[in-house]
Amino acid sequence: MSFHPFRLSLILWMALLAACSAGPGTDGLKIYRHSLGGRPTSLDPVQSATVYANHLVVNLYDTLYAYKYLARPYQLKPNLAVAMPEVSDDGLVYTIHIKKGVHFIDDPCFPEGKGREVTAADFVYSMKRHFDPKSRSQGSWLWAGKIEGMEAWKKAGADYDRPVAGLKALDRYTIQIRLTRPFPQLVHTLAQGFSAIVPREAVERYGREFSIHPVGSGPFRLQTFDSVRAVLVRNPKYRKEPIDLAYEGYDPERQARYGIARIQGKVPPLVDRLEIHFIKEGLSRWNSFTKGDEIQFASIPRELLDEVLLKKQPEVVLRARYAKKYFYTSGLENGFVHTDFNMKDPKIGYNPDPRRQERNHALRCAIRYAFDWAERNRTFYNDMGRVFPGIIPPVVPEFDPDASKESIRHDPEKARKLLEEAGWNAANLPVLTYGGVASVTSRQMFEQFRGWLTRIGYPKEKIQFDSYASFGDYNKAVKQAKIMIVGMGWGLDYPDAENTLQLFYGPNGSPGSNASNFDDPEYNRLYEKSSVMQPSPERTAIYRRMNRIVEDACVTISGLSRRYILLWHKNVVSYPDSSIVGGFHLKYVDVLPEGQEKK
Amino acid sequence: MEMLQYALRKLITGIPLILGVTLISFLLMVYFGPDKTYDLIGKNATPEQIAEIRHQLGYDRPFLTRYLEYLKELVTLDFGYSDSTGERVSSILKRTIPISLALVLPGFVLGNLLGIALALAAAWYRGRWLDKLIMGGSVVGMSVSFLIVIIAFQILLSSNYGLGWFPVRGWNVYDFGDYLRYVTVPTLATVFVALGYNTRFYRAVFVEEMGRDHVRTARAFGTPPAELLFKHVLKNALIPIITRIMFSIPFVVISGALLIESYFGIPGVGLVTYDAITTGDQPVLKAVVGLTAALFVLVLILNDILYKVVDPRVSLK
Repeated sequence: MSFHPFRLSLILWMALLAACSAGPGTDGLKIYRHSLGGRPTSLDPVQSATVYANHLVVNLYDTLYAYKYLARPYQLKPNLAVAMPEVSDDGLVYTIHIKKGVHFIDDPCFPEGKGREVTAADFVYSMKRHFDPKSRSQGSWLWAGKIEGMEAWKKAGADYDRPVAGLKALDRYTIQIRLTRPFPQLVHTLAQGFSAIVPREAVERYGREFSIHPVGSGPFRLQTFDSVRAVLVRNPKYRKEPIDLAYEGYDPERQARYGIARIQGKVPPLVDRLEIHFIKEGLSRWNSFTKGDEIQFASIPRELLDEVLLKKQPEVVLRARYAKKYFYTSGLENGFVHTDFNMKDPKIGYNPDPRRQERNHALRCAIRYAFDWAERNRTFYNDMGRVFPGIIPPVVPEFDPDASKESIRHDPEKARKLLEEAGWNAANLPVLTYGGVASVTSRQMFEQFRGWLTRIGYPKEKIQFDSYASFGDYNKAVKQAKIMIVGMGWGLDYPDAENTLQLFYGPNGSPGSNASNFDDPEYNRLYEKSSVMQPSPERTAIYRRMNRIVEDACVTISGLSRRYILLWHKNVVSYPDSSIVGGFHLKYVDVLPEGQEKK
Repeated sequence: MEMLQYALRKLITGIPLILGVTLISFLLMVYFGPDKTYDLIGKNATPEQIAEIRHQLGYDRPFLTRYLEYLKELVTLDFGYSDSTGERVSSILKRTIPISLALVLPGFVLGNLLGIALALAAAWYRGRWLDKLIMGGSVVGMSVSFLIVIIAFQILLSSNYGLGWFPVRGWNVYDFGDYLRYVTVPTLATVFVALGYNTRFYRAVFVEEMGRDHVRTARAFGTPPAELLFKHVLKNALIPIITRIMFSIPFVVISGALLIESYFGIPGVGLVTYDAITTGDQPVLKAVVGLTAALFVLVLILNDILYKVVDPRVSLK
């Protein structure tokens, strides 16, 4: 066989084009290419409000606590802390010891560029930043009013050299947090990127640009960060803590198939270079994933679900040609979608006239009966979401699988009856405005909603779409309580139903997270009572009672937890999680040399 | 000297243009753009926290004060820090504009050169099958959505569903080989679409030029086709060609190519601009709008000077 020179040069050119490189100096490195469906804007822990930012922050910085890599339901574990906190009997004083000998990465912000030891004072400083208006914190709400003296410190000018009564470094390695009232979720909040520990020297040196110049003590350090990708490299100073799979919650029955056992005893991080690609466009992300030599982790774009999946229910099964090449896992999101009625709007919510208020209640309940969750699930969530009654989603331990399904029942006949009994007719029904971002999906959701309402006799022209150009504009209108019917989604900050129940707590009304502006005295009282209780059957009973109050008030049409499907290449040893464990899993990801992947 | 005087005069007359553009766009940003406050607050923000953020963003200051500050920023080329990322706006532009230029230039140059070549052929064979073929192709290029073209090229040339010859996404450019790998598919997609518009435009220009007396005379003298097309038609049609190319330059330099950048994962200025528009990142927007306006003034001057170069009859007075 002979090669014509032209053909040969063409082949050489194509070989040049096809050669894949991660850049100079990357030969022989173990590289893992992760992907996310959105991009973080800031890497400053105080601004790490999104899942995307959190993925990076917990890998660049240390948090006192973290979630066990493999345990489900989620379990907390000490990270920079030596052990779980010592809590006083009244639940108000937390004492936390941190590990000795942990250092920040080398950076010019330190004397001679050498990263110094992380101390308890760094944690105190990092937490104070949340209450300094200059930091533009997005996480201060987690601790607002809960740490003794913090508000006073802020009011006095947020001077970092002044102490805060409830937040002290007792010595170099001991932290004391004094609370104003018991806060059982405190340890969960100390496992979030928001509470990551930063050195004061770096914040002062980089100023506003600290957000793109992270200096932490996490498993990785940042090499580059732009609008499409972040490149992190192993932090050589990261503490050596071999992996104990049993401690991490390894369940061979669920996880052995992914080859997780291989990482037992290894010291994280297991890869030299971690690339996180930010890809909003589902098809582009999928093409890159299936290419083989690009990203190694993705989800399935909606357009390709039927092509990739053999079965969607009751469990997800990939078609053989994909299952041969990729590992996958699926589960319910740690959150839910719901549609709220704005109770501040007298046309549908609270009204000074008691009779009208009663009629509004009937109207809201009628709309809820008109809402067809099964249809919504089929149309927008590929029939893969899980519909549940109320506001306690299935992923939290307080979820009640036996709860009445009445609030999610589609019953147009009952809806018509409710309207009639309350004296509503086509002439006197109020104009409904359904808010949404100006997108095709929002519009389609509105049209579907309108369709259901017209079937119970609501005049079509009285149901209008309140469209907003961007999510920012929509969010602004929600925060200002300007939208009558509000479509919302909530991602849990921690696996405790308190995080969703606070969505309907009166004092959290607009501009807070209570978009419905529901303000029920009994609900508020129960929330206040339960929010200081440790997990217990008694607390669960209160949570469920609150759930019923929300259902009975017909204040929301809720809810549905979406199903996620995560795929990764077979040469990657991983058990990914897209929310609660989130970025914590990345230091445990290993990449096998070619030919060693598990079949 | 005449040229320098002209350039200075034009620069001075360009100032009202810049003022007008910046004033209108700033007005739109302030009163109709997204409110960044709600992007920056936490989940349970209090009215006080909202007020603090608004104050930091300068939303509580009078419009005129803010506009005058904008002009100062434009003069000093210091636009401060992005409200989204906290990075200096100048650093963002310094990092992203070269990438966008490297990405868009090959497509821009090829799209124009090929457009001119095809338009010359179409004009020469006007009404014949080659003309119809080229014009048909142009209409296809213009009719298919750019997004579809990008996805189709990505699938055909980059993905494993197609040939898989090029990277699907990324911009790991460290040498010329890398550059070729990453720029080829975006360039092909750009050329495919640009060619349609360019060819149609240039063909119309050439057809008009071919109908002129001097071309008919040259034909009558038996001038060979190549000489006729390049010396008599193309050269005399350079004024509209220069205008079209020159006025595209500010968009190529500043705006980048949003769709290309987001689908191919290229960290250029197009993505940054798009994010700034949708999230209301005013420091970035102010820089992009102001620099685009300034670049337009420069292009306007350069454009007139080039007119003089290609046609000595044009006066710069």
